[in-house]
Amino acid sequence: MSVNKYKLLVPTDDRQVDIPIEIKWDFTDRDQAIDVYQAGVVQDIIGAPSDFELVRFSHNSYLSANTNSQVTKIFYEFYFFDTGQTLSNSASWINSYLTEGFSSLDVYSYSKPFTKSFFKLDFYDKKEDSDQTIYFTVILPVQQGYFDIVTISNYLQNVQIRKPKMGLDFVGDKEGFFIYWLRDTGYIDLDEFYMSAKFFDARLGIFVRMMNTTQSNFPGNYYNFDSDNYFYYKMKLDYTNKTYEVFSTLTNNRVGDEINPIRWYEYVNP
Amino acid sequence: MAVDETSKIILGNKRFQGSINLDGSEKVVLEQTVKEQVEYERYLDVNLQEVFDYERQKSTTFRPITKFSMIFKNAYSGVTSYFPYYNYLYYSNLIENTQNSVCFPNAPISWSGFPQYTEFDFIRNDNSLYGYTSGPVNHQLFVNKSASTYNWNHYISYAFDNDFSKVLYLNDPEKIITWFWVAGDGIPFYILDVNDDFIVFKCPIKHGLAVSNFVELTITYNGNNYFEVSSLGGTGYGSDEYIFSIDNVGYLGATFSVGVTGTLKKVLNLDNISETTSKYYVKIHKIISNPQDATLVNSGYEQSIYNIIKQKELVYSGGTPLQALSPPSCPRTSVLEGSQNYTLSFNIDFDINNLIDNQKRPVTELFFTTVWKGYFGWTNKLKEGFAFNGYLDGPNPNWWWDTTNNLSDSTLSFSSYFPNNPTGLFPCFYTNDLISGDTIEGDFCEWNDYEQLERVISKKIHKFTFNQNYFVPSNPSPPNNKYGYYYYPHSELKIRDYSPYVEEADALNVINIPSYAFYSNLSDGFRFRDIYPYGYIDSDGFGVDYPFTNGTHYPFKNTIFRVFSEGIGVQNITTIEDPLIDECE
Repeated sequence: MSVNKYKLLVPTDDRQVDIPIEIKWDFTDRDQAIDVYQAGVVQDIIGAPSDFELVRFSHNSYLSANTNSQVTKIFYEFYFFDTGQTLSNSASWINSYLTEGFSSLDVYSYSKPFTKSFFKLDFYDKKEDSDQTIYFTVILPVQQGYFDIVTISNYLQNVQIRKPKMGLDFVGDKEGFFIYWLRDTGYIDLDEFYMSAKFFDARLGIFVRMMNTTQSNFPGNYYNFDSDNYFYYKMKLDYTNKTYEVFSTLTNNRVGDEINPIRWYEYVNP
Repeated sequence: MAVDETSKIILGNKRFQGSINLDGSEKVVLEQTVKEQVEYERYLDVNLQEVFDYERQKSTTFRPITKFSMIFKNAYSGVTSYFPYYNYLYYSNLIENTQNSVCFPNAPISWSGFPQYTEFDFIRNDNSLYGYTSGPVNHQLFVNKSASTYNWNHYISYAFDNDFSKVLYLNDPEKIITWFWVAGDGIPFYILDVNDDFIVFKCPIKHGLAVSNFVELTITYNGNNYFEVSSLGGTGYGSDEYIFSIDNVGYLGATFSVGVTGTLKKVLNLDNISETTSKYYVKIHKIISNPQDATLVNSGYEQSIYNIIKQKELVYSGGTPLQALSPPSCPRTSVLEGSQNYTLSFNIDFDINNLIDNQKRPVTELFFTTVWKGYFGWTNKLKEGFAFNGYLDGPNPNWWWDTTNNLSDSTLSFSSYFPNNPTGLFPCFYTNDLISGDTIEGDFCEWNDYEQLERVISKKIHKFTFNQNYFVPSNPSPPNNKYGYYYYPHSELKIRDYSPYVEEADALNVINIPSYAFYSNLSDGFRFRDIYPYGYIDSDGFGVDYPFTNGTHYPFKNTIFRVFSEGIGVQNITTIEDPLIDECE
C-alpha cells in the first residue's frame, strides 16, 4: 500500500464548484416576430377583408287561411287611381292596368309600352325621407301576376290579361320574391328596411308613386299626412333562417299573405 | 464604451514622487447594445399582391359552387291504376287506354306511360296539379319551399374515416365466378391461365399494379404468398389494368390452377412489407351541411345539349262538357326529358380549419353529395353498391340489387307516409334528410403509406327502383330485381392539391415536416406529399387556383350528374368529359 502525507477531510459545509458556461444568445425568431408585427400593422392600415357576399332571403312561411298549411307565397296588389273619380271615394283606386291608361289590347298583346313598364320597390334604412339611404331595389315586371278576363273585340271570345296583383313564391312567378342582401352584418348591420313603391309607366315615361293606403282616408286635406308612415312598409330580415317578413308601418302587423296582401295605392299629386 | 469624464490621462512620473514612466494600455471593450435599424424595416411599401396572397393562404373558409348538368334518360314506361299518378303520365298507349276507360267505365283501368321528368328533376315545378299536388283530395299537397328538396337533396361532405370491414360482392357472369369479400382484403382475382412461363391473373376491377410490384395473395405456395409481378396485360387493349402475370418458376400442385380465386394486395417492397402494402377500404364521408343550407337555382337560361322531349296529350272534344282522352279533362303538355341546368351554392361558409381527412391529413377535397329523396312515392328505398355492381347479369340486374339481399340496403334512414288520396293504400317511402354530422359511405379505395397516395378503385353508386304497388314498370326484369336508375352520389371538389412527388425528410435536418408525414423505417425518414399553396399550379397541372375574395375561397366545378338507367335496349346518353390522362399518356 502506498501512503502520502495528504489526508482527505470530510467537509462540514456544502461545497460547490462554479462552472462558467459562456452563453452568447439572442432572441430566436426575432425576424419572424417582426414579420408578424409587420403583417399586423399592414392590416391596421388597409383593413381586414370585408365580406360583401350576398345571400338569398326568401319570404318566411305563414299559416295559410285557404289551405291551413304553411306557405311562403307573398302577395302584392297595386291599385291605380281612376281619374274620372274623386279622391274621397276609396273605390276610385282599382286593381287594373286599364285604370292607369293601358288598353286591354296593350296588356293582352304585351305591347312595348306595357312590357317596358315595371314596379320598383326601393328599400331604405329609414322611413324619414330627409335622412334615409337607399340600399337596394327590387323590380317586379308586369309580365307576372294574376289575370282578369276582358273583352278586346266583339268578334272574339273574352281573353285573359294581366292584372297588377302578384303572388310570388319559390315556384311560378318568382321575380322579386327573393331578397339578395349581405350575408354578413360586419359591413352594414341592418336587419330592418323600409320599402317604398313606384310604378314606371313606359307609355308616359313617368314614375307613379304609391302609398300604403288610399288618400280617401285623409278627409279634409288629401295631401296632408305623415309621409313617414304612409309611403312605406317595413321589411325585416332574419339572418339565421335567411327569411324576411313584411309589416305595416301603421299597425305593425305582418302583411303579405292572401288575406292581408301588400297593397299599394297610387298617390295623386295636388 | 463608458468613459469617466473626471479621469485624466497623465505621464507616469507625474502620478506621485518617485514614480517612473511606464508603457501603459487601456482596454477598450467593443460592446454594443443597440443596433441600427435597417431602413426598409421602417419604410415598407404595402404590396397589394403580397397582402392578397397572405390573406389567401391564411384563409380556411370556402364557399363551394357547382353547376349541375343533369343527364337523364327516362327509360322505363309502366302501368299504374293509381288515380293521381295516371292523371299526369307521359302517355305511351293513350288511345287504347281511353277506349278501355270508355267501354268499361266501371272496370279498374291501368294507364300506360312514363313518369314525367318532373318526378326526377332537381327542382319540381308541378305545384298546381289538381288531384296530385293541389286540390282537396291530392296525393301530396305541394309546399313551394320544398320544390328543390322533394326529389333530391344536396350536401357538402368530406371523407373523414375508412371502413375496412365493408362486405363487398362482385360477380363475373361470363366465368360464373362470384366473390364475397371484405374491403380490407383487397382486390379479387381469378387465375386466367397457367403456362410454362407465366401464371396469369385477372381482376374484375382495376388492380393498380405495376411491373416489379409484389402481390400478397390469399393463396399460399409452400408458406409463401408474396409474388413479384412480371408483366401486365393480355391480348385486349387496356387489359393491363386488369390482368397481371407472375413468373411460373415451376410451381407444382393445384395452388395455381385456372379458375382459382382469391384476393390480393399490392406490395411495393418485400424488405418492409408492413410499410409498403396497400390498404383497401370504403371511405366514410361526414356531412357538414343541412338540407336547408343548399340553394339550388336555375342556371340562368342554360340548358344541356339535349333537347326537351315533350308531347301534347290529346283531347277528345266530342263530349259535353269537354272530355279529354287523357284523364284530366283539359289539354296539357307532358315532359319526358328536360335539359335545365342548375347552380348549387350554400348559404353557410365551410371552415376546414381542424378538419382531418380519412388519412389524418388536412382536408383537401370536399364533395358535393347528392342523395335521391323520392318524396312523391314513386320509388322504393334506396339500394347501395359500387360501380362494379352496376353490370347486368345476363338480361337481369346484378344479383346484388335483389330485394332479398340485405347487404345492398342503404345505410341511410327512411320514412314513409300514406297518400292523402284514399285510393293510395300503400306506403310511400322517401329518404330522410341528412343533417350536419351524419355519415354516408363513399368510394372503394386503395391507400399506400409509402407512396402516400389514394386511388379510387370503384365509385359508390345508389340505385332506386319503382314502387310496384303504384307503378309497375313494363320491362322484363324479375319482380324482385327490377331495372332501376343509379347515380354516383359524391362529386369531388379539390380545394387544395398534393404534390405529385413524395418528399423524404430527415427529422434532424429538415424543419417544418408536416404533422401528417409518415415515418418510414425503410427509407429512414419521414415521407409525405407537399400541399401546394392556393393559387399555385405546377407544370403538370397539379394545384388549384380558385377565386379568392371576401376573405373566402370560391371553389367551383361543373358537375355532369348522370342518372343511369339499366337494362337491355336501354340507351344511356353518352357524355364526353375531358380526360385528365388519356391512353396516350
